[in-house]
Amino acid sequence: MTKVYVGMSGGVDSSLTAALLKEQGYDVTGVYMKNWTQDLPGMKCPWADDLADAKRVAVQLGIDFKVYDFENEYKHKVVEYMIDEYKLGRTPNPDIMCNQEVKFKLFLEAALEDGADMIATGHYARVKDGVLLQAVDTNKDQTYFLYRVTGKALAKTLFPLGEYTKPTVRKMAEERGLFTAAKKDSQGICFVGKVGIREFLSQYVQQIPGEIIDKKSGKILGMHDGAIFYTLGQRHGLDIGGGLPYYVVGKDMAKNEVYVTTDLNDATLWKDDIRLASVHWINQAPQLGIYQIRIRHRAPLVSAALTYDGENVVLKLNDEQRAIASGQSVVIYDGEICLGGGIIV
Amino acid sequence: MGVELIYLDHAAATPLDERVFLAMQPYFTEQFYNPSSPYAPALQVRRDYDAAKHTIARAIGAKPDELVMTAGATESINLAFASIGGHVVTANIEHHAVLAAAREYDHTIVASDEHGRVQTSVIMAAVRPDTRLISIALANNELGTVQPLRDIASAVREERQKRLAAGNTTPIYLHSDASQGVGQLDVHVSRLGVDLLTVNAGKIYGPKQTAFLWAASGVMLKPQIVGGGQERGLRSGTENVASVVGFAKAIELAETHRKYESERLHKLRNLLQGQLVAALPSAVVSGHAKHRLAGHLHISFPGIDAERLVFALEARGVLVATGSACAANKGTRSHVLTAIGLSDSVADGSLRLTLGHLSTPENTARAGEIIIEEMQRERQRIGL
Repeated sequence: MTKVYVGMSGGVDSSLTAALLKEQGYDVTGVYMKNWTQDLPGMKCPWADDLADAKRVAVQLGIDFKVYDFENEYKHKVVEYMIDEYKLGRTPNPDIMCNQEVKFKLFLEAALEDGADMIATGHYARVKDGVLLQAVDTNKDQTYFLYRVTGKALAKTLFPLGEYTKPTVRKMAEERGLFTAAKKDSQGICFVGKVGIREFLSQYVQQIPGEIIDKKSGKILGMHDGAIFYTLGQRHGLDIGGGLPYYVVGKDMAKNEVYVTTDLNDATLWKDDIRLASVHWINQAPQLGIYQIRIRHRAPLVSAALTYDGENVVLKLNDEQRAIASGQSVVIYDGEICLGGGIIV
Repeated sequence: MGVELIYLDHAAATPLDERVFLAMQPYFTEQFYNPSSPYAPALQVRRDYDAAKHTIARAIGAKPDELVMTAGATESINLAFASIGGHVVTANIEHHAVLAAAREYDHTIVASDEHGRVQTSVIMAAVRPDTRLISIALANNELGTVQPLRDIASAVREERQKRLAAGNTTPIYLHSDASQGVGQLDVHVSRLGVDLLTVNAGKIYGPKQTAFLWAASGVMLKPQIVGGGQERGLRSGTENVASVVGFAKAIELAETHRKYESERLHKLRNLLQGQLVAALPSAVVSGHAKHRLAGHLHISFPGIDAERLVFALEARGVLVATGSACAANKGTRSHVLTAIGLSDSVADGSLRLTLGHLSTPENTARAGEIIIEEMQRERQRIGL
């Protein structure tokens, strides 16, 4: 019997994942990955409840259950990475890092070590022979977060939910009477929780006031409390009020200045070419040609011509795209195949 | 799901007694007045509040003026420690509320024996000339072990005599949290021999967040919550009239039925213990065989993950605790079980079953059957 270790978060998706694999005849073990969470007075950390829910479902299914403690690794590889990237003025994606470094590396390695043949998670994606495919539910597809996983890891991975839509998953969980069937989906970055990224970051970086400058006129419009907190294309939270809304069109981390405009057509906000560094391909690098790309999770796929410039990838878009911030990931598809991607320079 | 619930966690919380609920109700609605207001209807509320405190005081053989009403046993404990301070002595099986409060001061934490009982000689050996407070719960919340409080109290009196003779003017007081024993044990202060006593209403079918700290006359308390000067300035804040009235009713009922109820629970508990041990001979029962709360059964199944058992039982309607509720939620091993020397594999297989008003011979026996079934199923699953 194939031994599968299922990452169980205590949510409905991973609960059903474990249930389906058990029904399909796998020898299933549930694993709760304890990642880093802040433990501050006044902040409720939900992990104990999530762990209990995951375990409840494991008991319900009559499967083994383990806890892997990745707290330290998670802190170094995901949390510190995210803070460092923000400090450099970029907008990183911790979920992508979590998949690359924790779920499809540490978890996979630990599971294999413990005797597993494969791992599984509740991601909405599909794998065929180590090739990553978009989920059947295109609205829920999570391949954007999985583009930095290796083909080798994927060859040992099962994503049973990739064949179903989210409403079907809820229904199937209900039909099986899973304890977590009606549980609300988690929101936002797990370790940041409900406080929001701004409050989270302000514990790690000093808030230094700087100027908010109108890009066109050069006029100082007001003050901000740190350029680090602003992202290209951002509209809210500028606190300069009155008249048309302002958008962030750039920032100078060294000078701690944020540049804004009311002009939605500002050239900085719109780009038709993207340069990617830290390029990762799930299997082999694709040939030059026209592919489909996604610049953020759930953004529509758009066509782009792919060329190489040394280690980097250059994408030429048919239509201009708004708010392409450095540090963000662009994921490249060939039809339903997720090829990989890179990070916007 | 239509499963009949069998509640076996009375040490964690108890349902409000209907009679308590009825007594409380008017004070939420028509009798809502602030007891400090000057008009007649408020004056009536003041009288009712004072009468309730009178009832509570009578139940423990004290004067109403010696009680400070608080929002729970944890607050009472904090008030006791903050008032007395100095070097404090307590035991390693005490509730987190006591241990955390003790750590705020110069403290010595003594070890209990393997039954969770704290020996008087061990406590007194930790007492220094500058020790001001000893705090020992009447009964342990996890094991149900009852402490030799009267014995400790007389040793404290001897210590006082010694200090007097030696010209040491440092006072020494004995505080006890009796929240876990009230309703099953005598909590009369002069018979217990304590100087400070904490009791809450939440474990005797009264409202939660409702407790008192009793301090013998002559024990000076230092207010931790200041404001309008309620409770003789020792605990400010508008009186929680409904809850205190509920507490009075609850403690009155508890004392009236104490003998009958503790005998009833004692029989039920012994039946349940016998049923489980007969079917599962490897089970380990912890706590003192004789000095144990009537409704308490702490039982461990070595090699079993008790938390799995709790979830399996929950799915069948049987609600039980693993070790202590607080420790279980934090995912850490119970400090009490470590303190009495249980090995990890025994400690991790521990259930705390506590009987009470909701327990009947039928549902207790049924719960026993379900526990045995789920235990055997789990054993089979892991091939034990």
